[in-house]
Amino acid sequence: MTNLTTESSSETMSDNNHLVEIENLSAGYAGVAVIRDVNLHVAKGEVVALLGPNGAGKTTTLLTTSGLLKALEGSVTVLGEPSNFSAPHKTARLGLAHVPEDRSLFFGLTVQENLRLGLRGKRSEQNAGYEAALDLLPALRPLMNRRAGLLSGGEQQMLAMARALVSNPKVLLVDEMSLGLAPIIVERLLPIVRDIANETGAGVLIVEQHVHLALEVADRAYVMSHGEIVLEGSAEELIERQDLLEASYLGGEIDEETS
Amino acid sequence: MSALLVALIAGIGAGALYAMLGTGIVVAFRGSGVINFGHGAVAGYTAYSFHELRVTGSLYLPWFDPIPEFGFLKTLKINNLPVRIDIFDVTDPISGKPNLALTVLVCLLMSAFLGLLMHFLVFRPLRNSPTLGKVIGSIGVFLYLSSMMAVHFGGQNRYDAGFSGFNSTAGAVENFLGLGRTIPRSNFYLFGAAIVMCVIVWALYRFSRFGISTRAADENEKGAALLGYSPQFLAGANWVLASITAGAAGILFLHKTQPAQIALFVVGGLGAALFGNLTSIPGATAGGLIIGMVASGGVEITNYDWWPEILPPSGVRNFVPLLAIILVLYLRGDKLPIRGSISIGRQPRAPKTNNVSIGVIAALGIALLLSNIFVSKWEAVLTTTLIAIIFMYSLTVLIGFLGQISLVQWSISGLAAYVMIRLMADGEKIRETDFVTNSGWGWPTVLAFVAAIVVAIIFGLLVGLPALRIRGVQLAVVTIAAVIAVENLLLRNPPLMGDGSVSVNPTPSPNWFGQYVGGFNPNTARTDYWKFSLFLIIIAGLVGVGVANLRRGQIGRRFLAIRANERAAAAAGINVARMKLLGFGISSAIAAIAGCMIAYKLPGLQTDQFEIFGGLALLAFAYLGGITTVWGAIVGGCLIAGGLLPEFLGVHFESIDTGLINAVGAIGLVVNAKVTNGEGVALLQTDLGKNTLAMLRRPPDDESSENLNDEEAKV
Amino acid sequence: MTNILETKDLTVTFGGLNACDHVDLAVPTGKFVGLIGPNGAGKTTFIDAITGYVPTSAGKAVFDGADIGEMKPHERAQNGLVRTFQSLELFEDLSVRDNLLVAAYPTRWYTFISDMFHLTKRDEDIESRVDWALDIMGLNDVAESMPTDLPHGRRKLVGVARALAARPKLILLDEPAAGLDTAESQILGGHLREFLNHDMSVFLIDHDMGLVLSVCDYIYVLDFGKIIASGTPAEIRESPAVKAAYLGEQAGEIQAQEGERMRGQQQETGEDSD
Ligand SMILES: Nc1ncnc2c1ncn2[C@@H]1O[C@H](COP(=O)(O)OP(=O)(O)OP(=O)(O)O)[C@@H](O)[C@H]1O
Ligand SMILES: Nc1ncnc2c1ncn2[C@@H]1O[C@H](COP(=O)(O)OP(=O)(O)OP(=O)(O)O)[C@@H](O)[C@H]1O
Ligand SMILES: [Mg+2]
Ligand SMILES: [Mg+2]
Repeated sequence: MTNLTTESSSETMSDNNHLVEIENLSAGYAGVAVIRDVNLHVAKGEVVALLGPNGAGKTTTLLTTSGLLKALEGSVTVLGEPSNFSAPHKTARLGLAHVPEDRSLFFGLTVQENLRLGLRGKRSEQNAGYEAALDLLPALRPLMNRRAGLLSGGEQQMLAMARALVSNPKVLLVDEMSLGLAPIIVERLLPIVRDIANETGAGVLIVEQHVHLALEVADRAYVMSHGEIVLEGSAEELIERQDLLEASYLGGEIDEETS
Repeated sequence: MSALLVALIAGIGAGALYAMLGTGIVVAFRGSGVINFGHGAVAGYTAYSFHELRVTGSLYLPWFDPIPEFGFLKTLKINNLPVRIDIFDVTDPISGKPNLALTVLVCLLMSAFLGLLMHFLVFRPLRNSPTLGKVIGSIGVFLYLSSMMAVHFGGQNRYDAGFSGFNSTAGAVENFLGLGRTIPRSNFYLFGAAIVMCVIVWALYRFSRFGISTRAADENEKGAALLGYSPQFLAGANWVLASITAGAAGILFLHKTQPAQIALFVVGGLGAALFGNLTSIPGATAGGLIIGMVASGGVEITNYDWWPEILPPSGVRNFVPLLAIILVLYLRGDKLPIRGSISIGRQPRAPKTNNVSIGVIAALGIALLLSNIFVSKWEAVLTTTLIAIIFMYSLTVLIGFLGQISLVQWSISGLAAYVMIRLMADGEKIRETDFVTNSGWGWPTVLAFVAAIVVAIIFGLLVGLPALRIRGVQLAVVTIAAVIAVENLLLRNPPLMGDGSVSVNPTPSPNWFGQYVGGFNPNTARTDYWKFSLFLIIIAGLVGVGVANLRRGQIGRRFLAIRANERAAAAAGINVARMKLLGFGISSAIAAIAGCMIAYKLPGLQTDQFEIFGGLALLAFAYLGGITTVWGAIVGGCLIAGGLLPEFLGVHFESIDTGLINAVGAIGLVVNAKVTNGEGVALLQTDLGKNTLAMLRRPPDDESSENLNDEEAKV
Repeated sequence: MTNILETKDLTVTFGGLNACDHVDLAVPTGKFVGLIGPNGAGKTTFIDAITGYVPTSAGKAVFDGADIGEMKPHERAQNGLVRTFQSLELFEDLSVRDNLLVAAYPTRWYTFISDMFHLTKRDEDIESRVDWALDIMGLNDVAESMPTDLPHGRRKLVGVARALAARPKLILLDEPAAGLDTAESQILGGHLREFLNHDMSVFLIDHDMGLVLSVCDYIYVLDFGKIIASGTPAEIRESPAVKAAYLGEQAGEIQAQEGERMRGQQQETGEDSD
């Protein structure tokens, strides 16, 4: 792994600032690990991008973080508690919101019902969160009474984002945020994510295929390839070291083609 | 006219029962996506418990002592699982019956407990199974509770206990609305009770987040967990609620009907639930009341002079209301599922079977050899098994390959058998022992056989029509209506099927190309004729090879494609409607062959043999064997009561209570769904080596992570 | 030049909503046409309408010289109008190869009889077509896998391969590159152009501007169900209306540049590894 950040700077970060702490994690499907020895953390108010080519293991990392997959080795700590595989809903109640790759919307319920299910906390907080989320994604307003299954692909993605946002999360995991979204929406959404981290102090971990857009808003980034983190560093450094970034992507790609 | 009106209104009595059962079925469905065929059995078990408590003061727990009490075990006396608890002391005749309120409370707790058991032991393990797996699980619940009722309560009718107001002896409203007729007072009380139940449950869902979170968790467990809801807690809570409504219905209706029958009333309840689209509580209540009223009014109409004799009143009562519901569903349905329809979930694997011809014939040949080594009793057991196997092939095609859950195939077997009997009969007495003689057309064996198959195919296609627009578990319920239609409108119908059809229908002697191939041996007066075994082996072999080839070929691939995704199938150029009808046609033809073979085997048939729960049990065993493969059908056929395996075990354990065999079978069903992911024993065999290896390599508590994988695959 | 597909005033309404509003659109034979537009503009609905998945309330669609208004979805597919889905919609319990075979083989009314006696012949022509489709989508190594074991991006490609196996005259692709990383989507772009050499026309919907701008001959832009612009990629990229409704100030631009740059890289490395 290449670490662009100097060791000392990451050491100075005090541990109790870390909302998500992943240590030496291996995880996978049917007992076979597809990610190995992953170390990653997200601090308060930080936006972290998790990048990498298809099949690198980004989704797997997120699933393990929110407790939907069981870690084979290593540990995952979310908001001070070990991530709970047997009861992922408990991790969610701590204040983690995860927008999974498949969005996991409730197709049989209306947009409004989907959003209401995301609400958490006191009544007043609920209302504020609800309105705020809709202000960020105004395209949802006219769709309130439509069944979620009928929405277009991009509308579903917006709903998934909004449903995560209404809960005022302390930790936000977003898998493939721009999947199916028009460029203009992506352009608006990424700064919104930045603002949320700044204003509420939430920690955000996003998986994103549009590398450059992601790096513009992120503080730090990790690049995964073949189940391992091959590169990490601050966003500015990564933007400068274009060559390393591309090598980590294409390297993965070429290997896959030839194997 | 006033008679009709009064009859319609009087129908609210029975309608209230349907409404209450329908309400509970909807609750369970919303909670875990399961159509609970065992819902009525929960009501029945609670009703029996109630009566037993009132009369003897003891409560029977819903299980049996697994340590058998026969053979040398009897001497060991290790009966250590408590089954009976004496709660009330009713030895004193003066203090009389135990406190009513307390009894009701105990019974409702009992039904809540049943709900919890169902949740933890059956439906929670099944939560990632495909629809069919859940249907089978609920059939398992039904079979289990029915046999528990038989074991604990003897299955007799119970009459005297309980609420005077709901008792039909409670008096009647004379000259109702000045129409000059009387209606039992209890009907109105029952109606009121149904409405109260509806309002309570509806309000619970309407005014708390419990309702939508329940629906959400059922539709997408992962999504709900990510939002902080515990899907398991929600499902469990709904099961408890559903069971309590069932228990309440059972207690209230103890007088209206016999407890054993309540289990069967579940059909009306299912109709009611369908009327509410399986999700609306008021809809289900309204549906139940309408079914009750239409049924009662329908029977009144059959009293009119102009009513054609060929339509029997009981059939009208049972079938007409369900037909109305089917029409509603059909018109509401879409030819192809619209976008964003809720996913059907993972289906059991359906691998190709290779080297079929040799395999199938060898297996069946060995069976023949074995049966002849044993005593002649085994001839009868072998033929029972073979017929079951042939029948199960029809399920393999329709349910396993095409994914259409049809519960009517067994009735189609019955229909074919009765048609064949009618065509071959010539008004002569066939055997000394026959009670009745049937008139008919006197057709030769082969011709009647072919004609019966043709009739079955036509009927099968008719049943297939709703499947073009109604899917999944709704289709399963709809086909129950067809079961009722066959039984009450077609089979129990002397003008149509001959005089034998309402008692024991004597079967003619089959004669294929000069050979007598019936199972009934006139010399021994038993069903042990060897030529019949041989004949069956040939038929079972041919059909089995055909079915396996079907899977290997293009049609099999297309069936599986439709099973997986109809929208995508149409995009791949498949004519979904035609393929579905083809599946129904092939399956019905195979079912018809099985039906004719039963008629060959036995000296007489009875309509009861083809009623719904016989068919459900066969489906359950086919599933246990493996619904998606030919081998699965063969294993399943060996497992049925009267088949090779239970009979073989029976030799060693003298006389086991048949109730217990069913109970054990039901447990097997649930275990199967868990262990083999519902893919059946047959597939487990081939994978045994692979799975064991994987299990050894896996850390011990990894079992649940596998479930999550499935779930991901589903979403 | 003839048009393989032509719609006139095609309109689809859901309740009060005009998801497609008098859409006039043409795909010339042998060309590569793109359709872009904001989320919920009605792009998928347009494909649904011409493939018969939703009813149209007005207008008509002519495919290969014939009005297809009355045809069922499977008939349209058999005639060569084949689509993919935005949501995956694969046959999840058939292997990748079987997914393709389903679409590739035609059936006759007697096929079930010949199947039962195992007499149905293997058609080498069709098998090689399937091999070709697997090959071009880079799925050879996973032909016997189940689709659910593949990562999201590759599952989408299975959908494209299945459509190819059906011998389309016009293939309608709904966001085939969604979820692919930039490099992969550019590889895909290269293969998509290749379709044109196999007697096919292509109709593409995607939000990856790098891909769309680099492969399409002509692009339509849909907004609120109406065509608001159409033209060559260069024209579309410059159009202010499109920028305001869809591309945004920088995102589309960055994507487009990124795509082009990555494509250049890809060609170099691709040549190297050959
Ligand atoms: N359910 C599953 N069963 C088995 N293997 C899986 C499953 N899901 C993913 N994999 C495998 O795990 C590896 C990592 O997949 P993952 O989905 O985490 O990648 P990703 O980085 O999110 O890729 P993408 O960008 O395509 O979403 C892949 O090689 C994939 O084939
Ligand atoms: N059956 C339906 N009933 C009601 N509204 C529908 C239905 N189908 C689609 N819609 C609505 O029609 C609009 C157009 O949807 P469509 O899927 O065509 O959009 P799209 O252009 O493909 O968007 P995206 O780029 O997000 O996939 C959306 O607002 C959607 O919610
Ligand atoms: Mg991913
Ligand atoms: Mg779309």
